[in-house]
Amino acid sequence: MDFRLTLDQIELRDAVRDYLDGEHGPERLRRLDEQGGRDPAVWDGLVGMGLTGLLVPEEEGGLGLGLVEAALVAIELGRADVSEPIVDSALVAPPFLMPEERAKVAVGELKAALAHPVNPWIADLDQADILLPRQPLPDPVKLGSVDPLRRLFAPSPSTVRPERSRGARPSETEAVSASLDGSVSTSLDTNGENDILDRAALMAAAQLIGASERMLQLATEYAKQREQFGQPIGAFQAVKHLLATVAVKIEFARPLALRAAWTLQEGQPRAPVHISMAKLAAADAATLAAETAIQVHGAMGYTYEVDLHYWMKRTWALAGAWGDRAFHLRRIDDAVIGGGIAIGPDQTFESELARA
Amino acid sequence: MELAYTPEQQAFRAEVRAWMAAHVPPEPLKTLEGREGYDQHVAWERTLASGNWGMVTWPEAYGGRGLDLIRWLIFEEEYWRAGAPLRANQNGIFLLGPTIMEYGTDEQKARFLTPMAKGEVMWAQAWSEPNAGSDMAAIRSRAMRDGDDYVISGQKTWSSRAAFADWCFGLFRTEEWSQRHKGLSFILLPLDSPGVTIRPIRQLHGETGFAEIFFDEVRVPVANRIAGEGEGWAVAMATAGFERGLMLRSPARFQMAAKRLVELYRTHADTAAPGAREAVLQAWTDAEAYALNTYQVAATVMAGGHIGAEASLNKIFWSELDRALHRTAMSLLGAAAELRTLPGCEANAWLEGYIFSLSGPIYAGSNEIQRNIIAERLLGLPRKGAG
Repeated sequence: MDFRLTLDQIELRDAVRDYLDGEHGPERLRRLDEQGGRDPAVWDGLVGMGLTGLLVPEEEGGLGLGLVEAALVAIELGRADVSEPIVDSALVAPPFLMPEERAKVAVGELKAALAHPVNPWIADLDQADILLPRQPLPDPVKLGSVDPLRRLFAPSPSTVRPERSRGARPSETEAVSASLDGSVSTSLDTNGENDILDRAALMAAAQLIGASERMLQLATEYAKQREQFGQPIGAFQAVKHLLATVAVKIEFARPLALRAAWTLQEGQPRAPVHISMAKLAAADAATLAAETAIQVHGAMGYTYEVDLHYWMKRTWALAGAWGDRAFHLRRIDDAVIGGGIAIGPDQTFESELARA
Repeated sequence: MELAYTPEQQAFRAEVRAWMAAHVPPEPLKTLEGREGYDQHVAWERTLASGNWGMVTWPEAYGGRGLDLIRWLIFEEEYWRAGAPLRANQNGIFLLGPTIMEYGTDEQKARFLTPMAKGEVMWAQAWSEPNAGSDMAAIRSRAMRDGDDYVISGQKTWSSRAAFADWCFGLFRTEEWSQRHKGLSFILLPLDSPGVTIRPIRQLHGETGFAEIFFDEVRVPVANRIAGEGEGWAVAMATAGFERGLMLRSPARFQMAAKRLVELYRTHADTAAPGAREAVLQAWTDAEAYALNTYQVAATVMAGGHIGAEASLNKIFWSELDRALHRTAMSLLGAAAELRTLPGCEANAWLEGYIFSLSGPIYAGSNEIQRNIIAERLLGLPRKGAG
């Protein structure tokens, strides 16, 4: 039992953070905003860092790393508000692709878009080479997002099945409960749809944590510089306490995301519940960080001139993407109140697999 | 990162589980905040010590088992899972013990730690004063040097279980005109010393769980001082760190409470307020988050890392989680929440827990103080506020 990141993991995280700090700062976001949200140079840079090959096995030309590493990278992508389809293509799609497709992902030559009934959109469909679950690429019909750097498209009718969308009990929780009896393995469901959702929800949670940390940092810096009543507003307790409350929220969302990444990586039956807890906590932390950051910025925060709005809007987007609060609460509900999993102080790292 | 227990860790869990199953009192003890219940809890401390479970992380030489923090967490998980009583000596084992381990001489370690682990000497803390609460550097109680003794005069307050405990540890001004953090020393003394008067204070729940301590020229040997004369503030801050940080509130306590809350919800689902279900799920998710964070901190500390101002993040989280959790239970109980006893139970544990949870955001440094610490020391905001 060791919850520390390994030296390799720390090195990877720091390298990605440093790279994005240098190459993907606020000026980049403003430029992307002016030119429609995408820039091949940004994509090429991420490919050059090796990030598209992160989850691709070494024999297929990738780095062969795991979901913990992927989650760490997703936190950094969220911190930098990266909008290229790297999360979907490189951090979610690889297990659902053929080896030769994965090899192309690793070198940045294949992009995958993801469809799921919980989302009324497909992101970056216009530049996708493949749509998962497997289906013909529909004509991209663009939808507007509040987030100027997101590019969303209407899903084809086949990906939206009303009986499976909001309001209906998602079937993945049934799969979790069933697997606890040992009767169902953790293998992919027929079209991989629910596994895609779990992975994408985990990566959304990780990005939300990165975004939370960035928004807290932006608000803290502003509070140090902005003076009123003859002193920085960050000297006032009213402001200090707002920001401290955000720091607490983020601190306790992060380990939930790391545990979820670990249990999913290890193929443990509880992974979906852990992912839902992580998504819930990360979305709540990011929402609080966003609302606090705009409050600390005052009227400046309500303008398009302060960069904060990019992370704030990404937060609104990701909070609802890949299962909103209601969706993930229901999954936790089924497991905890519904009795899908045993709970208690000895159950924090229960894998169910060890008992087999 | 490796989030799985080793076979040795699993065997340790089984060992603790078996011992707890054989020894935990079948009936809940009376409240720790009253005389009768306190004595029952002290007896339990001695039972624990008889199994060598007093403080598993301490070296064997001092009555411990020399185990690492992961085993301590496993021990705590099994302890709470078994429904074992609160620790009567928590001020000693969780706060003073680690302080002596870090700052005490070998002689002091042998003298104080072993009886603590064996449940023979119970400790109270003597920090706050009537005019020094959140502003602890304002303390005035004096300990003036006279040969090989200090002569202590002054008054301490909010001293948990001082009415029942054997010894206290506290912060006293050892330099006559010293100001604020300077000239303070960390001193231990028996509560039955001549010149000590204890006046119990009735708490919110009606029991005398804490007390005022009056010192009237109380003589204490200099050998009872921890660390150097005038170094008391740094020692006290370390103790406060232990209090806010890893040890005092182990996550298992909240996971167990959250599990009971889930069970309470199941029996009250029909009459629950619409928001109660979500509050239950939030309590469970938060308890899990707290446990995971603690494992993360434990791993860092085991690798030689230190907990500094991060302890303040912790203290805010567990105290607010505890209050919200019990508030939800009170809401589920509805009109029965006010009853001191519930059908089939000796006491209304949810009511007692709710009352106790209200002290969490206040003791060990109020949550407002913790937010200042986070803002200034973790976020780097300017120290001085308006006025």
